[in-house]
Amino acid sequence: MSATLRLEARGLGHRFAAGRGLDPVDFAVEGPGVTAVTGENGSGKSTLLRIVAGLLRATHGTERLEVDGRTLPASGRRDAIGLASPDLAFYEELSVGENLEFAGEARGLAAPARAAGEALTRVGLESRRDDRVAALSSGMRQRLRLAFAVLHRPRWLLLDEPGGHLDDSGRATLERIVREHARDGHVLLATNDEREWRLGGQRIALRGRGLGHPA
Amino acid sequence: MAGNASRSAAAVWAILRKECRTEWRTRWGLNAALLFAVTTLTAVSFAVGRMPDRPDVLSALLWIVLLFGALSSLAHAFVREVEGHTLTLLRLVASPLEIATGKFLFNVVFLLVIEAVTVPLFLALMGAPPPRWGTFIAVLLLGTLGLAASGTLTGALISQTRGRGALFAAVSLPLLLPVLAAAVSGTRAQWSGLDPGAPLNLLAAYALGVVAIGVLLVDHLWEE
Repeated sequence: MSATLRLEARGLGHRFAAGRGLDPVDFAVEGPGVTAVTGENGSGKSTLLRIVAGLLRATHGTERLEVDGRTLPASGRRDAIGLASPDLAFYEELSVGENLEFAGEARGLAAPARAAGEALTRVGLESRRDDRVAALSSGMRQRLRLAFAVLHRPRWLLLDEPGGHLDDSGRATLERIVREHARDGHVLLATNDEREWRLGGQRIALRGRGLGHPA
Repeated sequence: MAGNASRSAAAVWAILRKECRTEWRTRWGLNAALLFAVTTLTAVSFAVGRMPDRPDVLSALLWIVLLFGALSSLAHAFVREVEGHTLTLLRLVASPLEIATGKFLFNVVFLLVIEAVTVPLFLALMGAPPPRWGTFIAVLLLGTLGLAASGTLTGALISQTRGRGALFAAVSLPLLLPVLAAAVSGTRAQWSGLDPGAPLNLLAAYALGVVAIGVLLVDHLWEE
């Protein structure tokens, strides 16, 4: 069943310091699908995703996230959002499966162990379920981030540079996850990799200062 | 509403179990706290010897020993998230109140474990008179709640600052003075046969007050 999904931003921006952050941007995306967020390094792609995920409060403008006609406040988006970003780290003392089971339990999933198994299978990491996170390679950690993001089958999937460290098989897995999710959910894909942003039916091009024009 | 409450309880339980599991696998905080507490206790017992007739001094020494153990590790629950860069994961799966409640309960369990080792050793090494167990345990429990509540709140506040280790002790000590004073007074009262009502009330009020302040502040603690 397709969900009614809508994300709208009006003058949305964030300033960490002079010249750094997300320059004000206006956009609206809706319905199931994939939207690529592109822009130079430092243009604010990750910042935009953190604002949408409710992790960061914008210093300018407004944004509205809707699921099935309900506007979700920033503090109430945990169920609706799955985020995979480069700064997402896991508990090194726990195994791959324990990390995901913990996330599932904390999210209140009915069967966290089964959800963890399914998510690991989707990203091709089921054979490493009992391994400590500390023993994973960079590419495997990236697959684990993807598994964490899809664990609770969120309506909005926010992927920040999702292809980083992935091999060809990992990229194929990523593409499959994005296409599957786009059937009844929406994927926001922050990337500068052409192979990834071509997956997007819509595109938000950020025109921030990037690295080249400090304020 | 009931669904939200049971879901929050599940999140708190998950965080408490995760804390216990990660602590048990590394034992960094547990070893540090036990080392501090037992070293302090040993040094004190060698320095002053057995003093069964000085409940005032015994009460003060007991809580100094417990404070040393607590200060070495109470901030650990939050600091570990910041240093391991796992705070983002935690914020994505649980609300700030659920996170803080899980950490608070972990700190309570943690302190009870430290006390289970330290207090019997203290009573034996210092030659303390037999406690009035009901009152003694009530003082220990309420003092533990106060230490854990204050330590959790301070740990959350300083976890993302630089020099957080030194800052934790500097910020915590003034906040913990009312707990220490009341806990020492209550412990002395139970050994001296006095009424411990006032210090027990103060300990309970302090713990409740810090928890209430924490509930009010917690949503703003990690706002970026």
